[in-house]
Formats: sequence, structure tokens, C-alpha cells
Amino acid sequence: MESSYETVVIGGGVVGNSIAYHLSERYQEGILVLDKKYPMTGTSGSTQAWVWVHNKTPSWYAEFSMYSAELYPYLSKKIGDVEYKRTGGLSPFFAEKDREKAKQLADSYRKIGIKIKVLSREEVLEKEPSINPNVAGATYSSIDGNVNPFRLIDMYMRAAKKNGVQYSTYNKVTSIEKQNGTFMVTSDKKTYVCKNLILAGGTWSRELGNLLGIDIPVNQLRGQIIVTEPLKPFLNYTISGLRQAINGEVLIGYSMEKAGFDRSTTLDVIQETANMAVHYVPSLRKAKIVRAFSGIRAMPEDGFPILGKVPGHENLYVAATHSGVTLSPLIGTLLTELILDGETSVPIDRYSLSRFA
Amino acid sequence: MDKTTIICRCEEINCEEIEEAIGHDARTFDDIKRLTRCGMGPCQAKICISLVADVIHEQTGSHLHEIPLPRMRMPISPIKLETLATNSTTFSSVKSVMDEVELEEGKVR
Ligand SMILES: Cc1cc2nc3c(=O)[nH]c(=O)nc-3n(C[C@H](O)[C@H](O)[C@H](O)COP(=O)(O)OP(=O)(O)OC[C@H]3O[C@@H](n4cnc5c(N)ncnc54)[C@H](O)[C@@H]3O)c2cc1C
Ligand code: FES
Repeated sequence: MESSYETVVIGGGVVGNSIAYHLSERYQEGILVLDKKYPMTGTSGSTQAWVWVHNKTPSWYAEFSMYSAELYPYLSKKIGDVEYKRTGGLSPFFAEKDREKAKQLADSYRKIGIKIKVLSREEVLEKEPSINPNVAGATYSSIDGNVNPFRLIDMYMRAAKKNGVQYSTYNKVTSIEKQNGTFMVTSDKKTYVCKNLILAGGTWSRELGNLLGIDIPVNQLRGQIIVTEPLKPFLNYTISGLRQAINGEVLIGYSMEKAGFDRSTTLDVIQETANMAVHYVPSLRKAKIVRAFSGIRAMPEDGFPILGKVPGHENLYVAATHSGVTLSPLIGTLLTELILDGETSVPIDRYSLSRFA
Repeated sequence: MDKTTIICRCEEINCEEIEEAIGHDARTFDDIKRLTRCGMGPCQAKICISLVADVIHEQTGSHLHEIPLPRMRMPISPIKLETLATNSTTFSSVKSVMDEVELEEGKVR
């Protein structure tokens, strides 16, 4: 393997892989992806993988997510079947007081082109007969869906490799230096020289920034998921809280805890998650849980993606975010435009690291 | 091992598929699991884990004790949701997406 590259991407999760793949559509030589372990060992391998838009707030962030969701059908045409399904997304509520909030959401998002319906109890049950009949209503949008995260990353990688991207895994970056306009990236295996450097280290972004003396304010937020045995298809929609995968398994969970980098599965959260499951879909009581997993979200300090150029460092870029599965097609597209054309088709100034300065 | 030998009975994954994953630089049981689903079946890898270790050893030459084992997690054997549930509907770590929608002066931010 050479040691000189045009562009090095640190981090082979869904974000780093999308950037590498989209770059490789424009130029085929000199792209290297480095990962301290293996793609999917990070957060991208322990995710719900909803492609979710409709109740993200504020509206500009929902709009950004919508652009990404809209790229999915085209992406799957290009890289192959990633089991993307635009099922539509359903967010049930059980208290009547939430209806007003739901209506506000639907009203203000109509203006930006995200169609949200506020469903009555009867309409929810008609759409999704398995939902708890005590439901008060739900918001619904056809833009939401889900994807198989493993297939997604595998396909990004295969397509990128086909376009000439090189990968070096089990190869941790330990120091980065800037010399005469190039970066010297030292890893466990070797030192690489490159012109462009992209930091896509997910929840480890703060550490990566430290190697360059840059503050990337990303914190850790744990999420735990439980998985049922394969059940016959019975859920029609991606419900905010659970979804049924193509093979029939139901992935359940929407928890958030500050636990640093600890990826344990804990009984208290698993029980709460089970409670949510039977509260939303009572027939799940009898379903068996075969598996549980836990992942650490990258949570930027203000909750929004950190994307784009690193101020004051020429040819240095960062992409660190939660909801990286939803956003990966757009992030890959826009970072490629930024690197090759110097500007992006959708503005990303709002997401600049400079906002924390 | 024959290429068509079934390694993971639950997910019907054969030796060739495991070898292909290793060809893509997968090195641990979990890497292979995420690429192929081998080990994600009802038995949760109890049957296939040692066979996969054999293939890794055959393909990469790494010794069996050097191949990291997957983390054991709850539940060790399948358990009904109703057994886990406590029927409470107050949540602390588990969130609701609707609760996250923030209104400012009655309007969505
Ligand atoms: C429980 C849970 C549920 C979620 N649900 C959803 C959802 O429904 N929809 C959605 O869109 N998002 C969801 N997310 C978030 C989403 O999974 C993440 O935003 C996304 O996977 C982040 O991808 P990434 O590439 O940034 O990070 P990662 O996948 O973590 O990739 C970063 C990579 O960088 C590598 N790395 C770090 N430091 C170094 C170094 N020094 N040298 C070399 N390599 C390094 C790591 O090994 C890692 O592979 C969820 C997350 C969790 C935990
Ligand atoms: S044999 Fe592989 S999971 Fe059961």
C-alpha cells in the first residue's frame, strides 16, 4: 500500500464511507479510508437505522434531513440493494394534549414541503392495527422509512472499492501533523501523507480533534436496543420506537443515557424498553427477545451536525453527527462538492464548527 | 472445509460467504456477523461460533486464542417480552419522539 494520498478519511462508519464513496464517483485515485477497528464496529453497527425526518426540529434541520431521505432511492440504484424501505413513519401519542403540538408541527412543516398528517385514533388503528387501542392519535409522514445499516455500509464499501478507494482497517490513527501544506497521518501501521484530510470519527471525534489541537465538541449518548425473533410481517410502518426489519425481527428502542463510552446492556433500560414495546404494540408481549445491543451516539454539544471545513486549517474537513444513517447520503454528497468545487448545493454554514468558537 | 459447508444453520450462511467477508478484511466474529448475519439467528451463535473461528484460523493463520470473542449480552437465551416488562408506563431513559418536538411561543422552532 502506498503512503501518499490525495484524500484520507479517518473513520469507516456510515459517514466516512459515504464521503469516500461519493468522492470516488468524481475522482478515482488516491482515496484512503482508515479505521481503528472495522467499519460497523462503531455506532453504525449498533443503530436503529430509521431514515427519519418528520418530527425533527427545528424546521431547518427537518428540511436538511428530508433532502437526505430523498437521496436514498437514487443511492440504492447506484450502490445496490440496501434494504431501504420508505415505509412511512408513525409517531403515536397517548395524551390528548399532544394533538395541538402535532397540529402545529403539521402546519409549519407544510411550508417547507414535509407533509405531515395528524391522525385520529381510528385512523391510526386503521393504518397500524397492532397499535395499542388506547392511542390518542399519531403524526404520520410518508417520507420516513428505514434501511439495513449493515447492507448500507457494505454496499458503500463495495462501490467505493470498485471505484479505487483503498481501506486500511485495524489501523488506529495516533498522531496528525501539518507540514508544508500536507498532512502527515501516523497510524499503528504506517505514516500517510495527504492533501485533504477528513475527520469522520463519530463519537471519537473529540479525540481526533485533539490530535490537531482542535476542539470538536462531541459527547457520548448511549442507546440500547432489543431485538425479537423473526415474526411474520405485521407492522406496516416505521414507528418511532420500533420497526420490523425485512427478515421479520422487530428492533425496539429509543433510549438516551450519558454513560461515556460504556456499551453495556443494562437491565433497567431493557425493561423500560420492553415496557415501551408492550405499551405501543401490546401483541408483542408474547414475542421472544433473542438479542440486545447498545451503541454510543455522537452528540454534538448543541445537538446539531458538525459539517464542513475546519476554520483556520486549509484542506481539513469534519463530519460528526447523530442521525448519521439518515444523513449519510446528503453528507457524502455535500462534502464531496465542498472538497472538489469549493461550495455546496445545499448550504451548510449553519453546521460549521465555527459556531462553537 | 468445503465452500458449500453450512457454517451458520440459523441464518443459512456457508463457508464461502465467511471467506468472502474475511477477504474484505473482516477479522473478528463480530465483523463477520455484521457483514453476513452469521451468528444473528435464534441460537445467537452458540452453534456457529467455533466453526467461524476455525474458518478465520484457516484463512488468516491467526491462532484461536487471538480471535476476539463477541461480548455476551442479555438475554443469554430467548425470553418473552412480557417477562421483561414491568408494565410501567413512566419512562426515563426511553424517550418519545413527540416529547422531543419543541414549541416556542406555540410555534415549532
Ligand atoms: C441505539 C442507536 C440508535 C440509532 N438510531 C438511529 C436511527 O434510527 N437513524 C439514524 O439516522 N441514526 C441513528 N443513530 C445514530 C447513527 O447510528 C450514527 O449517527 C451513525 O452511525 C454515525 O456514523 P459515523 O460514521 O459518524 O460513526 P461510527 O460508525 O462510529 O464511525 C466512526 C469510525 O471512526 C473510527 N475511528 C475513531 N477514531 C479513530 C482513530 N483514531 N483512527 C482510526 N479510526 C478511528 C471508529 O473505529 C469508527 O468505525 C442511532 C444510534 C444509536 C446508538
Ligand atoms: S447457527 Fe449461527 S446463529 Fe445459530
